[in-house]
Amino acid sequence: MEETVIDVADLRCRYGDFEAVRGVDFEVRRGELFALLGTNGAGKTTTMETLEGLRAPFGGTVRVLGLDPFRERAALRSRTGIMLQDSGFPADLTAREMVALWGVTSGRRATEDVLERLDLAHRRDVRIKQLSGGERRRLDLALAVLGRPELLFLDEPTTGLDPESRQRTWQVVRGLLAEGTTVVLTTHYLEEAESLAHRLAILHEGLVAVSGALVDVLAAQPSRISFDLPDRLDVDALPMLSGDVVHRPSGRVEVRTGELQDDMAVLLAWAGREGLRLGRIRAHHASLEDVFHSARTGKEVVAA
Amino acid sequence: MIAALGVAELKLLLRNRTAAALAVLMPLAAGIFFALRMDGEQGGWTMVVTLQLLFSFGFTVYVTVTTALTARRQDLYLKRLRTGAASDLVVLTGILLPVVLLGLAQAVVLLGISVAAGAPMPSRPELLLVAMVGGVALGCAAGVGTSGVTGTAELAQITTAPFFFALIVGGLFGTNGGVEAPVFLVPGTGLGTLIGAAWGGPTDQVGLAALSVAGWTAVATALSVRFFRWDPRG
Repeated sequence: MEETVIDVADLRCRYGDFEAVRGVDFEVRRGELFALLGTNGAGKTTTMETLEGLRAPFGGTVRVLGLDPFRERAALRSRTGIMLQDSGFPADLTAREMVALWGVTSGRRATEDVLERLDLAHRRDVRIKQLSGGERRRLDLALAVLGRPELLFLDEPTTGLDPESRQRTWQVVRGLLAEGTTVVLTTHYLEEAESLAHRLAILHEGLVAVSGALVDVLAAQPSRISFDLPDRLDVDALPMLSGDVVHRPSGRVEVRTGELQDDMAVLLAWAGREGLRLGRIRAHHASLEDVFHSARTGKEVVAA
Repeated sequence: MIAALGVAELKLLLRNRTAAALAVLMPLAAGIFFALRMDGEQGGWTMVVTLQLLFSFGFTVYVTVTTALTARRQDLYLKRLRTGAASDLVVLTGILLPVVLLGLAQAVVLLGISVAAGAPMPSRPELLLVAMVGGVALGCAAGVGTSGVTGTAELAQITTAPFFFALIVGGLFGTNGGVEAPVFLVPGTGLGTLIGAAWGGPTDQVGLAALSVAGWTAVATALSVRFFRWDPRG
């Protein structure tokens, strides 16, 4: 039974005359991590702020946990944790004071030591203005997960973090997912989305360019084989492959194929028979990076 | 929630030395200065208490509310608070509460200093109470509205000047009574009249004065609803 936690239909958002989001549809199911990707200005944060109830949509409908996030903000708050792109910390409070304040104003009482969980226990009594950028971001995450909300919004949670802090953030997010929390994430790091997301949408100029389950989105893109063709050979000498073959001026051959394993087998058997060495051979499934680039160049890909 | 927000705001106010000095020391120093200028002439005390109270409403309440809200918005603290469970009204009340208490405490301390220095007690204390409640309410409402058109905390020193001076000048117009009705359109006039009346001045215009304070508070509240912003990027 897959329960829909967020349902967005034909969402439109405007800043004055500028339509930042121009008709976006997607849904988020309970317990999954949904990644909202796109370049700067694609409409990610605007969409997030609408889901968080911070702005009213210009058009379309948005339901979060069955409620209207803008009009029924109060009813949603104790059930949702929000990490904005900017932390919004007053510089002169300490980490401990901020956690205490947030325990009251978020409507979600602390059930554990969140500072301990994010390795900030030793910085408890330091004023926020004296914390490093990474420590502030961790404090921000600590507040968002305070009291274990059932739905968590993370807007670029790891931007500016060092690799170790990023790992710690991923660890916390995975822990929450294992406990059944639903997470909506935006990020510029595609490998982050690839390692965490179950499903995703890539926005481009205010529209959904690609959406679906991560595995389906990746499968919808052709895999790639590439190698250096031995000098004396012409590309016509290659065996019959199911994918498209491109011969680059550099001498490198690229094959885009939906049948990576079969084409590899044919290619390697042929090279073995002919006694050829194919130089710098590479074979890989499409990465989110590939999907992202084809989305930006305007080709619509929709995976079921 | 209001208490937690208020305690946090009080800490923020007191930990920022410039803001704290401006909010607490400046009106205190001005108030003491006015009191010391009195050389025992009885009639002048009404003017002194009027100035002391208007500095408390104008400086401690109005300017501090404007500066604090603008600084919290700049820090994106207001935006963060809106991701919490507190309603907009609760957030505002929490942030205004310590400023209100500070303003009232300041007014009481200054009046105490004047009385100790020889000023008479108010003959109509209930009018003083009306002036205190009205002055603080007007200072808060105008501060919320002014912060809406103030981009940074530093700019608050400029954007608060017109209303602050109108408050002081109006108060001086009103304090001796016998004011032409249109002068009640100046924001401080009603407060000045009420304070003057509390210290034995003419009471015939008290109703008009209270109406002026209530009217200005209503106008400031309406402007706040129109202009106040939670997010610096609108």
